[in-house]
Amino acid sequence: MTLKRLRPLLRLRPVAPPSQRLLIRSVATTTSISTEPPVRTTPPPCRTPSLSAKLPALHSRLSLHPAYPIETLARALVHSSADADHRFNNHTLATLGDSLLQYLVSEHILTKFPRLPTAIHQAAIDAYAGHEALDHLGRNTWGIEVAYAPVAEVDAGLLQLKRLPPGEAPGLTPDSGVTVEYAMASAVRAIIGGIYLHEGGLPAVRQFTRLHILSRKLDVEKMFLIKKPTLELSRLCAREGFESPVARLHAETGRLSSHAVFVVGVYSGKNLLGEGHGGSLQEARTRAAVNALKAWYLYSPLEKDLPSKTLEDPKVEFKPAFIDAGEVII
Amino acid sequence: MPVKVLPAVSKAQNGVGAFVLQCKRLEFNYCDAAGSSRGMKCSDRLFLKHCLPQFAKQNPAIEMHVAPRPSKHPIIRGVYINGREKVICVRNLEHNQVLKKAELLRNSSGLQLRKLRNPVQSINDSVRGIFSPFHGPKHAL
Repeated sequence: MTLKRLRPLLRLRPVAPPSQRLLIRSVATTTSISTEPPVRTTPPPCRTPSLSAKLPALHSRLSLHPAYPIETLARALVHSSADADHRFNNHTLATLGDSLLQYLVSEHILTKFPRLPTAIHQAAIDAYAGHEALDHLGRNTWGIEVAYAPVAEVDAGLLQLKRLPPGEAPGLTPDSGVTVEYAMASAVRAIIGGIYLHEGGLPAVRQFTRLHILSRKLDVEKMFLIKKPTLELSRLCAREGFESPVARLHAETGRLSSHAVFVVGVYSGKNLLGEGHGGSLQEARTRAAVNALKAWYLYSPLEKDLPSKTLEDPKVEFKPAFIDAGEVII
Repeated sequence: MPVKVLPAVSKAQNGVGAFVLQCKRLEFNYCDAAGSSRGMKCSDRLFLKHCLPQFAKQNPAIEMHVAPRPSKHPIIRGVYINGREKVICVRNLEHNQVLKKAELLRNSSGLQLRKLRNPVQSINDSVRGIFSPFHGPKHAL
């Protein structure tokens, strides 16, 4: 879109009332990383990690390297809503950890399921590295506890955040408070960012991600909701140059009873693409088409080589990943 | 777009990949005066003085709390990642018996004790699939 076409849109944007304008200005001052520390409205959270017994326990529970300092671990547990000063909160560490995590998880899914539709690929990344998954990881697997309020006397081993008041929607900035889920996810990301900084870069992060995040169980097969399976399958066959799919009855029982069962296979020429069962011929045919599409989209190469290993050692032998034409567009 | 997403969240499988000890805190309570805390504190082979430092060193993933609990029997309380607590009363126990109880709490997963009726529990689908009478060789009567 050219600037000329954008201009009317810009003019049409409503002007914020004075109270909101003030808010926007204050947002701008707090989000930019300035050399001057921002004006503090609440007392600073605990800055004495050496007094906490929880931090060494968490350090050991995650099997972090001795080179990973307790102070960084403590900083990873301070969300930016608890302390707006970027020198003391986990904002920068979490940003670093998030980039690494998104890269490693997306690379893992892309090489494992190269034919996955984009929407499912994104959802699978979120299932491993989204807020909800990382919150589960931090709270229910690592056992990170949450401080009630980020006051000065609080134990440095607790996650510190300003809680969102009940019934309020989270704002653009953390000043109004955040949900525990969001803060916990940022703490997990920040811990991973700390591993990158202190434990020797990408190899350590890869190892940690493999052990703690990619080892979690996810059924990608159950994330599909295919609206028009038969149409999509015939389009797929046309695109790939296969013969158009035909449904054939494999077995049936009780056609005239109230509990009929049909088993239908979908064939392209002589090749069986998928098989499904159902209480009616239509249901069985649809299920067969869904199974055929899932078999196509969930193709997984036997030999998978992750591209990130070449970042560690450029001379290492690497087999490029399979790249698919993409999902079928109807 | 024909393919829609059913959002999901990955499930934890502790021990597949990394193993995280489920006991996160052990609290040791004792009474200075009462005789039931003898093995915990008052005899010449004190648990808190001689066994606990080594036990804590062997289990760095567990946070150890020691606190008096006057005029009460001594207890050990285990706090677990799943949010549950387990308490064992160690009244009149010797220091090595107290250590056994502490190890019991350390090794526990924090789940409630339950009878496992099926020897195998898994969140994975069966490799063989569900039996189907429509497949395989036909049965002649």
